[in-house]
Amino acid sequence: MNRLCDSMEPKVMDDDMLKLAVGEQGPQEEAGQLAKQEGILFKDVLSLQLDFRNILRIDNLWQFENLRKLQLDNNIIEKIGGLENLTHLVWLDLSFNNIETIEGLDTLVNLEDLSLFNNRISKIDSLDALVKLQVLSLGNNQIDNMMNIVYLRRFQCLRTLSLSGNPISEAEDYKMFICAYLPDLVYLDFRRIDDHTKELAEAKHQYSIDELKHRENLMQVRLQDERARQEELEKHKTAFVEHLNGSFLFDSMYAEDSEGNKLSYLPGVSELLEAYKDKFVIICMNIFEYGLKQQEKRKIELDTFSECVHEAIQENQEQGKRKIAQFEEKHLSSLSAIREESELPNIEKMILECSADVSELFNELMMLEMQLVEQLEETINMFERNIVDMVGLFIENVQSLMAQCRDLENHHHEKLLEISISTLEKIVKGDLDEDLPDDLRALFVDKDTIVNAVGASHDIHLLKIDNREDELVTRINSWCTRLVDKIHKDEIMRNRKRVKEINQYIDHMQSELDNLEYSDILD
Amino acid sequence: MEVLREKVEEEEEAEREEAAKRAEWARTEKMMRPVEVRKEETTLTQEMLRDLEKKLSEIQIPISAELPAFTKDTIDISKLPVSYKTNTPKEEHLLQVADNFSRQYSHLCPDRVPLFLHPLNECEVPKFVSTTLRPTLMPYPELYNWDSCAQFVSDFLTMVPLPDPLKPPSHLYSSTTVLNYQKGNCFDFSTMLCSMLIGSGYDAYCVNGYGSLDLCHMDLTREVCPLTVKPKETVQKEEKVLPKKYTIRPPRDLCSRFEQEQEVKKQQEIRAQEKKQLREEEERLMEAEKAKPDALHGLRVHSWVLVLSGKREVPENFFIDAFTGHSYSTQDERFLGIESLWNHKNYWINMQDCWNCCKDLIFDLGDPVRWEYMLLGTDKSQLSLTEEDDSGINDEDDVENLGKEDEDKSFDMPHSWVEQIEISPEAFETRCPNGKKVIQYKRAKLEKWAPYLNSNGLVSRLTTYEDLECTNILEIKEWYQNREDMLELKHINKTTDLKIDYFKPGHPQALRVHSYKSMQPEMDRVIEFYETARVDGLIKREETARTMTEYYQGRPDFLSYRHANFRPRVKKLALSSAESNPRPIVKITEQFFRNPAKPAEEDVAERVFLLAEERIQLRYHCRDDHITASKREFLRRTEVDSKGNKIIMTPDMCISFEVEPMEHTKKLLYQYEAMMHLKREEKLSRHQVWESELEVLEILKLREEEEAAHTLTISIYDTKRNEKSKEYREAMERVMHEEHLRQVETQLDYLAPFLAQLPPGEKLTRWQAVRLKDECLSDFKQRLINKANLIQARFEKETQELQKKQQWYQENQVTLTPEDEDLYLSYCSQAMFRIRILEQRLNRHKELAPLKYLALEEKLYKDPRLGELQKIFA
Repeated sequence: MNRLCDSMEPKVMDDDMLKLAVGEQGPQEEAGQLAKQEGILFKDVLSLQLDFRNILRIDNLWQFENLRKLQLDNNIIEKIGGLENLTHLVWLDLSFNNIETIEGLDTLVNLEDLSLFNNRISKIDSLDALVKLQVLSLGNNQIDNMMNIVYLRRFQCLRTLSLSGNPISEAEDYKMFICAYLPDLVYLDFRRIDDHTKELAEAKHQYSIDELKHRENLMQVRLQDERARQEELEKHKTAFVEHLNGSFLFDSMYAEDSEGNKLSYLPGVSELLEAYKDKFVIICMNIFEYGLKQQEKRKIELDTFSECVHEAIQENQEQGKRKIAQFEEKHLSSLSAIREESELPNIEKMILECSADVSELFNELMMLEMQLVEQLEETINMFERNIVDMVGLFIENVQSLMAQCRDLENHHHEKLLEISISTLEKIVKGDLDEDLPDDLRALFVDKDTIVNAVGASHDIHLLKIDNREDELVTRINSWCTRLVDKIHKDEIMRNRKRVKEINQYIDHMQSELDNLEYSDILD
Repeated sequence: MEVLREKVEEEEEAEREEAAKRAEWARTEKMMRPVEVRKEETTLTQEMLRDLEKKLSEIQIPISAELPAFTKDTIDISKLPVSYKTNTPKEEHLLQVADNFSRQYSHLCPDRVPLFLHPLNECEVPKFVSTTLRPTLMPYPELYNWDSCAQFVSDFLTMVPLPDPLKPPSHLYSSTTVLNYQKGNCFDFSTMLCSMLIGSGYDAYCVNGYGSLDLCHMDLTREVCPLTVKPKETVQKEEKVLPKKYTIRPPRDLCSRFEQEQEVKKQQEIRAQEKKQLREEEERLMEAEKAKPDALHGLRVHSWVLVLSGKREVPENFFIDAFTGHSYSTQDERFLGIESLWNHKNYWINMQDCWNCCKDLIFDLGDPVRWEYMLLGTDKSQLSLTEEDDSGINDEDDVENLGKEDEDKSFDMPHSWVEQIEISPEAFETRCPNGKKVIQYKRAKLEKWAPYLNSNGLVSRLTTYEDLECTNILEIKEWYQNREDMLELKHINKTTDLKIDYFKPGHPQALRVHSYKSMQPEMDRVIEFYETARVDGLIKREETARTMTEYYQGRPDFLSYRHANFRPRVKKLALSSAESNPRPIVKITEQFFRNPAKPAEEDVAERVFLLAEERIQLRYHCRDDHITASKREFLRRTEVDSKGNKIIMTPDMCISFEVEPMEHTKKLLYQYEAMMHLKREEKLSRHQVWESELEVLEILKLREEEEAAHTLTISIYDTKRNEKSKEYREAMERVMHEEHLRQVETQLDYLAPFLAQLPPGEKLTRWQAVRLKDECLSDFKQRLINKANLIQARFEKETQELQKKQQWYQENQVTLTPEDEDLYLSYCSQAMFRIRILEQRLNRHKELAPLKYLALEEKLYKDPRLGELQKIFA
């Protein structure tokens, strides 16, 4: 049918067209009058129908932020686009168009019903974002590869699928294949799949399905492992001791240290290195465990703090609510009394009383709030002191452990130097009985060179240790400041919000009273 | 006059005796002696009679006279087994041992009363008390525990006081006899209870001792009814929450502490005064309630049951009074002393002093100093030997050795002479004699009935009185069972006139509690429901004359509360009834739970439809971090503007306060739609209220019907009462019987009469077989023909008679009365019917006869006895 329309002039989706459509499809009768009076904002529109309009290109839809249902069927659209802003879309009809590839749907995460019936699509893909997809209509297209079905396995909610009128539907195995590969499907090509067919299909394709499932499972397991590892690392990172539960730091010390590596070939050095590594790793492990423990402690501290603060705020809110409820009860009765009163001076007197009540309420609420602010400030300061102390202690202890590392390094350095010098002496004397690699032998030219080389290695190691220490200290410090800042800021925000709320309420009450006054005077 | 008075006194005497006797006869249900002929009173004048009547009415027959012990001559001993009437040699031996024991005891303790060892039984045979105990485990699970067991015994038997309150009875009947007559004295009660308790595994003993007057006469009027005692509320100890590290400090308290202290002091003084007054009041009351001193205090013989700790997880020793079924601590001051106690294995004498009631007694039966046992070698002599030796040396008295030397060391108690105690299920269900029992408590009266005894299912009634004399009723509680309307308890408060009905789950309207003052609609009432059984989740509906409040739970629309205010009904024509003229509703208030799926500012918490003012008020839920909630008020008034056009919506028709002002809610369109929605909701709510009113009417009607019908349900397992199942069973039996008859018929041996002609046990020759067959067949043929002839004859006879009648009719047609004509016509139709049936029968017979003949031939041919026949054809 759309082929016939090709000859007609394509139309542009402009503002006028949209306005017209919105007006036509908007509320009717009395509500319609109101709507016309006020005008409808595009972002309030929930459903839009734009069929048989010869639209070539989807455009100008960015304002319809809250659109749930969009019908663009029976147009001559060739390319899906311009739908990026319509993230609330649930229902999208693009049937009877000239679309060739599926694209531009990546932001429509809420889409449940998608119709691409009677287009020119040859491949199912680019639907990954549509996790809630339930109904997919792809009939009368040019899909010719059965393997497209496998792609649909990822949609957990998919229940209805139509693929009739595609080249693949000609295949004799078509129905069985789909039933086997999409076992959760309920309707295929507008017909219910009965249990018997399902069983048959399952039996028929059991081997390939099992294989597929096995592969999928493997993938799943691998993903899970990866995720678990990532989570573990994340946990260590929040404790600022990541990669300290092994020889990672030690290895990194030697990674960029060419001299050190060369020197390790010296006789006796490898044993030394081994012992050094063991001791070093033990200290690293100590730091790691200590870090995790401290992290736990900080977490408990933080939890208690937030719990207490939450309780205090809740308690305060309850008090506020009670006050307001009391006030409203009184206020309502006095308002009705005013309405019934006919003497003007009396009315004025009562209104004055009422406004006094309102300001009284204001004072009470504000007092409550100020009291809470004071209490919270005290608690927050206490918490800040404690957390800073904890962090300080942690840094101190880590630093002392790191100093142990450094001591080890120094010790190792001395030993290495000793060995080096003795080796040098042996070389000079010429009674070295072992073979040394050439690049190592090149270092043993004179005493300065070898001392420099050993020194350079030592410096690198120290630098690495220092760097790790610095990193840890800076990070924990910045975490601490950020946390405290956030708490302070949150508290301020909360306070502002509450004050604003109280003011708003009081203003409303006051204006209500004022209105009453005017209306009375008018009467 | 003097003579007359004497005569009157004689009369009285005679009357009294007669009354007593009558009562006795009525009770024992055994009219052994013919009723005595009343004395002639013809000599007395009318006046005298009146005087006599007056005097007689003044006489109060003492209660004891009404309750005579059922004596030996009322018991039919002829059917009792031999063991009741004679003693076995072993029992004789035991009696000798007991006599010896008793002699030694009276010799050593001359100042103590003789032992209660071997009273006579119903057959005048002396039996040792321990052998009267017959440990029996009852087949009813309800009787497995001591409390229900004791309750059963106290319910089942009627109490009879001892003939002499200061001595143990001379007779002790077997439990089976006691059960048969459903009455007994305290010894019978405790013997039976003890048998049952030992049977179900308790370490129980019968006690012969001394009790207070109330105890001996089963007088509960000074005791508080256990049903009226409210269970003490367990005070929940509030767990003191430890202040957390960061708990905020409370704001400084600016009140004066001194003033607070003064206030507290003042309060305390007032309270102390109140308490004092209360105490004085209580003391006064106590004085009034105290019993009169008893002249025979401490001498009244009583028997009860002692349960020792150890078995069946009993944590400590206690007494059970078999009369009331209540348990008492061993320290209780109503039990004034113990003479002896026994179980089915042994007999112990108390050697401890009972000057301080039973409070100082130690129930270590293995201690021979405190408890002197009669038989050695039972399991209670467990105290270690050394101690026994010690006591033996220390004690100058050789009481502990008495009865031991001449007693066979290995002698144990003979088996009980009593038959097994059996209680039929009917008796068990009926419980009390005649299914009814009344217990008088202090300021309360408890009546009990057997289930199904009362046609309305009433099983017990507790009446509570204001005063000790039981004249002013305070409240009545009635318990029901097996009612079809599931009514469980009816509570009537006489002072406030409030009635509360409690229901078990299963009422057609899911009623749980219904409290009301009158059954008229639109009065004060509260109806509670089993909300899970209702579709609308209604928990409670409260009604007053002008309001109706409903509470809901678990509804998909989150409605929790609906309150409707009514205006008094507008007086209309008398025609309109309550249903067609509902009260106008002034206001409907509805409250909702928080719907977690909606944001708080769009989730309505309360809506008020002010129907009279055409106003709708909405209050929304409060957001978690806010203290104010959004509100909105709609004025539904439809107005007309200056040009006469209808104003659809103006901004002042909706006044709203929003916590967080939003743009779309300011629009008139939004407000208009919201208002339209609310209008629809209002209509629905009004309808709901109206339906609720109708439902109340319906419930009231249903309740009245149920009260009037008070049908009882009968369990399908109750074979005795379930009429329907009985009918069904009988029908089944009938069908079975018929089936059986038919089978017998089919097995009718058609060959038997012919075979009988031949000598039995001989094999038939072929010739004989053929002859037999032919005879049988010809006989059958003859029978078929006879039958056909018979039918034919009857048919002809009927036809002839009819013809005769017709002839007669035609001859006398003119002279016949209408009645005769009617008679004739009915006769004709009946005769025609008979003729038709006979004709049909004949036809059917003609059709069937050849078939039957062939069938018989076939049968004969296949009959194994005529096997010879087959051989030829085979």
